Amino acid sequence: MNKIIEVKHLKKNYGDKEVLKDINAVIEKGKVITVIGPSGSGKSTFLRCLNLLEKPTSGQVTFEGTELTDLTEEELDQLRQKMGMVFQSFNLFPNMSVIENVKLVPMKVKGMSDQEAGDLAHELLAKVGLDDFADHSPASLSGGQQQRVAIARALAMQPDMMLFDEPTSALDPEMVGEVLKTMQDLAQTGMTMVVVTHEMGFARKVADEVWFMADGYLLEQGSPDQVFDHPQSDRAKDFLAKILEA
Amino acid sequence: MKKIKKSGKLVVGMSADYPPLEFTKNVNGKNKYVGVDVELAKQIAKDLGVKLEIKNMDFDSLLVALETGKIDMIISGMTPTAERKKSIDFSKIYYAEKSDYFVISKTNKAKYTSTASFKGKTVGAQTGSLQYTSLKKNAAKSGIKVKGLAKISNLLMALKSGKVDAVLLGELNAKTYATNDTSLSLVKSSLSQAQMGNAVGVAKGQGDLVKAINKTINDCQKQDLFNKKYIPAAAKAMKQASSKTNNSMSKYASYFATGLGYTMIITICSITIGLALGVIFALMRLSKNKLLHAIAVCYIEFLRGTPQMVQIMFVYFGVGMLIKNMPALAAGIIAIGLNSGAYVAEDIRSGINSVAKGQTEAARSLGLSQAKTYRYVVFPQALKNIWPALGNEFITLTKDSSLVSVIGVGELMYETGLVQTATYRGVMPLFITMCIYFVVTFILTRLLNYFERRMNLTSSRA
Repeated sequence: MNKIIEVKHLKKNYGDKEVLKDINAVIEKGKVITVIGPSGSGKSTFLRCLNLLEKPTSGQVTFEGTELTDLTEEELDQLRQKMGMVFQSFNLFPNMSVIENVKLVPMKVKGMSDQEAGDLAHELLAKVGLDDFADHSPASLSGGQQQRVAIARALAMQPDMMLFDEPTSALDPEMVGEVLKTMQDLAQTGMTMVVVTHEMGFARKVADEVWFMADGYLLEQGSPDQVFDHPQSDRAKDFLAKILEA
Repeated sequence: MKKIKKSGKLVVGMSADYPPLEFTKNVNGKNKYVGVDVELAKQIAKDLGVKLEIKNMDFDSLLVALETGKIDMIISGMTPTAERKKSIDFSKIYYAEKSDYFVISKTNKAKYTSTASFKGKTVGAQTGSLQYTSLKKNAAKSGIKVKGLAKISNLLMALKSGKVDAVLLGELNAKTYATNDTSLSLVKSSLSQAQMGNAVGVAKGQGDLVKAINKTINDCQKQDLFNKKYIPAAAKAMKQASSKTNNSMSKYASYFATGLGYTMIITICSITIGLALGVIFALMRLSKNKLLHAIAVCYIEFLRGTPQMVQIMFVYFGVGMLIKNMPALAAGIIAIGLNSGAYVAEDIRSGINSVAKGQTEAARSLGLSQAKTYRYVVFPQALKNIWPALGNEFITLTKDSSLVSVIGVGELMYETGLVQTATYRGVMPLFITMCIYFVVTFILTRLLNYFERRMNLTSSRA
């Protein structure tokens, strides 16, 4: 088994509130995992604990054989390069053009030349279908386009895996498709992906594994068919029933 | 005394707005100190065989300046009262006045005839002067309300604009002002105790210096130089100074120019210091290190919570005790820079806080270190929010630089005071100064707006 991430007894508290209660999981290289569950179940917090944007209260997160929770900030910076992340609210840098957004970190962290970074950025923007917009400002793009730029920006660091935190939740419905399509293309290249999402169609179609979270626990792990058609826990049955009704 | 001889320079402090004892005269556009006390100072310097340097400052500041070694002696029509003797030593009396006079407007001549007629009225006096003390002491008995101002020229302006009903001055002063301004009239005061006269003040424990001064005074009195030479010379200088031709503002253009020059120097240097400190303290305040954070909070709160005027005087006199010979200009720049640092730090901090948290998260998730995240992502965005606030701070600072005139730095406000005393015109110099400040800040505002627009253009291009 070729595991890229292993999570053991992960717990996260905000003050007195326990958001994650003892999560144990393994992510295998090349797999696409979608994380579903009701709001407030801890999905996003779980995802942010994987690259330590949130510091776990206790437990271990091992990435490519390295235990992350006791690394220094500098060592973490190194490892975060290998875990791209895409946010619900895109978080493009508004003071830079589209291509500058993609070029910035390869140049500043990897020491690429302007030329190298530019070539790479154009290639990635072409891949997400936005090379024509390279010199535009992020604000002049639609939400869907911005999110695709954000994906290109994350890919520019040539990561080993990608984390998606509800990437389509802030989008107008007609733009959800283009972003999901980009993600699906990416999945087909063999990229390891963890996607927190409310898009059940996508979750079922693209995922190798579906994880169901509720109340800070990882309640179900299995193939899409297993989780969607034969949920074991009452919480999952409840959740899926409500989703399918709607 | 040794120090004076060693430096070859005698630094005499005076409040040069007290004709005919000490005042300023415009000679070919240059400012010159003249008057009876100046003549005496020259003689003392000559007898000591050193060069004379005169430092002009508010009367109130003289004692502190002497105690902190900013000046070697005070010759400023100062009376050796018992209270003053507690902190400094005096020479023998070199000149004594007979009594004080109420200066009033001529139109009120019938209304005010004696000290008793000022009951319930407001009378102005120079703060720290003997007249001021005497008014205060007798306030209950005489029923006179006292208003203290630092400069005689401002007192007379207050008289003319009806803010005070009379101004109490020493004999010499009162008579010269009344001679030079025919709209004024005098009423002899019965308030004051017997006049003690004027003496030279020196720091405690300098017996040799006092002896030397007394010798000069004795020589002068023997030859009756005061009455024969000094007073007539002073009167002549005053007449020249107050003559109509000498009163036109264009003659004093160089004063305003010098003042503006210093104002610009102070402004530019203080902004530089303020910016540097502001960045440092903003980062300290945003730091996770509790100690750094606490230091920054204390600094910012303290500097913002105390008056800038007090800070300027504290730096000049207080810190000046540790660092001898700190020039007033340097003290002024440091004080204003320190103060500005606190405000700039808050502008920067709020600018940085206004950048969405997602920006930092996105940058960090890409592997950008915290320092680089600040440098390439947060700060460029924060600058857009910081800039307008910073612009306001620059403009405020330009105007607040006028406060350093209290420690005698020759900036615009200070030079204005000189023009006021030299020309006996209160309002016109102020008006000119106001216009100069406005032009400077107006240009600054345009400049800042230009950069603000450019910044918005670069970030919103499509």
